[in-house]
Amino acid sequence: MRRRVSLLVAFVGIAALSIAFVLVGSGLDFAYIIPRRLTKLAAMIVGGIAVGLSSIVFQTIAGNRILTPAVMGYEAVYLLLQALLVLILGTSSLMVLGDYGNFLASILMMVAYSLVIHHWLFKGPQVDTGQPLLVGLVLTMVIGTFTQFVQLRISPGEFAIFQGFSLISFDRVEPVQLLWSTGLVTLVCLAGSRSLAVLDLMALGRDQALSLGVDYQRHARLLLGLIAVLVAVSTSLIGPTAFMGVFVANLAYACAKSERHRMTLPLGCLTAIGMFLIAQLSVEHVFNYRTTVGILINLACGAWFLVLTLRFRDIA
Amino acid sequence: MPSRDVFLGVGSVALKRAAIPVAFTALCVVSLTVGVNRMSLVALASLSDEAWLTLTASRLPRLAALVLTGVGLATCGVILQHVVRNRFVEPATTGGMEAAKLGILVALSVAPASGALVRASLALGFCFAASLIYVALVGRLQVKNTILVPVIGLMYGSVLGAIAEFYAYSRNMLQSMQGWLIGDFSKIVEGNYEIVWLILPVVCAAYAFAHRFTLLGMGSDMATSLGISHRAMVALGLLLVSTTVAATVVAVGAVPFVGLVVPNVVALRQGDNLARTLPSVALGGASLVLVCDILGRLLIYPFEVPIGLTMGGVGGLLFLFLIVRQRR
Repeated sequence: MRRRVSLLVAFVGIAALSIAFVLVGSGLDFAYIIPRRLTKLAAMIVGGIAVGLSSIVFQTIAGNRILTPAVMGYEAVYLLLQALLVLILGTSSLMVLGDYGNFLASILMMVAYSLVIHHWLFKGPQVDTGQPLLVGLVLTMVIGTFTQFVQLRISPGEFAIFQGFSLISFDRVEPVQLLWSTGLVTLVCLAGSRSLAVLDLMALGRDQALSLGVDYQRHARLLLGLIAVLVAVSTSLIGPTAFMGVFVANLAYACAKSERHRMTLPLGCLTAIGMFLIAQLSVEHVFNYRTTVGILINLACGAWFLVLTLRFRDIA
Repeated sequence: MPSRDVFLGVGSVALKRAAIPVAFTALCVVSLTVGVNRMSLVALASLSDEAWLTLTASRLPRLAALVLTGVGLATCGVILQHVVRNRFVEPATTGGMEAAKLGILVALSVAPASGALVRASLALGFCFAASLIYVALVGRLQVKNTILVPVIGLMYGSVLGAIAEFYAYSRNMLQSMQGWLIGDFSKIVEGNYEIVWLILPVVCAAYAFAHRFTLLGMGSDMATSLGISHRAMVALGLLLVSTTVAATVVAVGAVPFVGLVVPNVVALRQGDNLARTLPSVALGGASLVLVCDILGRLLIYPFEVPIGLTMGGVGGLLFLFLIVRQRR
């Protein structure tokens, strides 16, 4: 089983990277350094799983390999909602999961957003694949603008501080929030595990799936809801991932050599975790903290996405 | 003998022609009178020193900067659209703004005490180089696709932005960079905005070459057969665009979407003959910038919303409308 082997290799690689991340240069300090690093590692794992799953499942539903929730403005909507909630309710804690009401409201709004996006982009006459991408990019910019405006309303003086939330970072992870996120991601995996086989059918396209007896509408709605939860988790935990999802998903497809979600989903998660680890390790040991994880990932994935769009020939 | 309807028709055409200039003039007057520091016309008439100082040191420079950037960016957009031959390109969707920011960043870190002129020339150099690369990239595309061209531009811009962030963070300048990432006219006073006057000769040059740019928009074969050096015109166009973008970014920061929305709306009504449409494009750009600036000054009075945000919202929504409209 060569397929299993690639999964195994990826798994061993991630394990080795994790051990390197936790132990190298720690001086075996179990009182502070190692627990702190374990928290960061857990954040990377939970965030990586959320990014990997949401990107691949979204691409399957959209039938388009250059779209991800992040590109279609999901993360931007989440950040806008958080800013609005702070403005309306005046909570001092910003973008932290744990508050039931806040989280429930955000999830509901995100599900609503994803239904609108889905309806508007994928139900109409089949357009070229580039159009949703352009709409998504511009929408992300516009929503980001509104978020900045809301932040300006909250406190014109501390405007610059709020802007710090626009990049990936593992430094602001709190243990309580981590527990919440882990629980939610586990729940999502359990809820979604029953759709695993259905996803392979949905990848064939809406009409094919329908003719094979899949209740497409119901499954698409459920999965879009789960994606909304995953995006909320990853954005609140580690920040907006922008183009990372496209990179992760396509790398997973290439490595899996298979279309089956049983293979691509775990590989996608592992790829995302691996990327976080490699970025974090290079920030610590190669760049000596002269850059950040977010900047590195943005740079690498942005450049890769640019090359991908330049070589995209079948958009017509 | 012409009937009454014809006279009415002529009248309504004249009315339409006059609409933009009249609106523009009204906006200028409103822009002069809005502000935290009360400046009544009565005080001006009675030659109050304070009122006159407000007018000459702050309000008039701001109005000049607003009008010049509006005119400049809209003209830029229309030139770029003819050079790239795509309706959806403008400095913010071709990486031009990001490149200019990168140039300023380099100027600030290499020579922190440098004046606006040094910064503007470095921004110009970076912007020009980035635009040349972009035009070359788009020219090499296998499939010409209206949607793909701005998508590539946006991605290209975000890569340039990431490089700028990388560079700024490693030199501990990220915080200050975020300050002038967003276009903002609130800091404009007499003495620190004069660089935007560079836009004036650019607009004049654009007008002088308007016919040639129109031909450029018909493609390189057509332009060459009509006796135009395609390469030279592309280079000239990009140079004009880069100068405007550099001057704007140095003086006020990035102002997105003006160059995209205004030329598209004008083209919908008046077509693509630049020599005829340039005045409308220029006045339309100035009016849009004025509207967004007045909006920004009133929304959270007495604070100000930077124009980068108001324009990002208003212009972005208009851009979305144009994309969706194209689909129909």
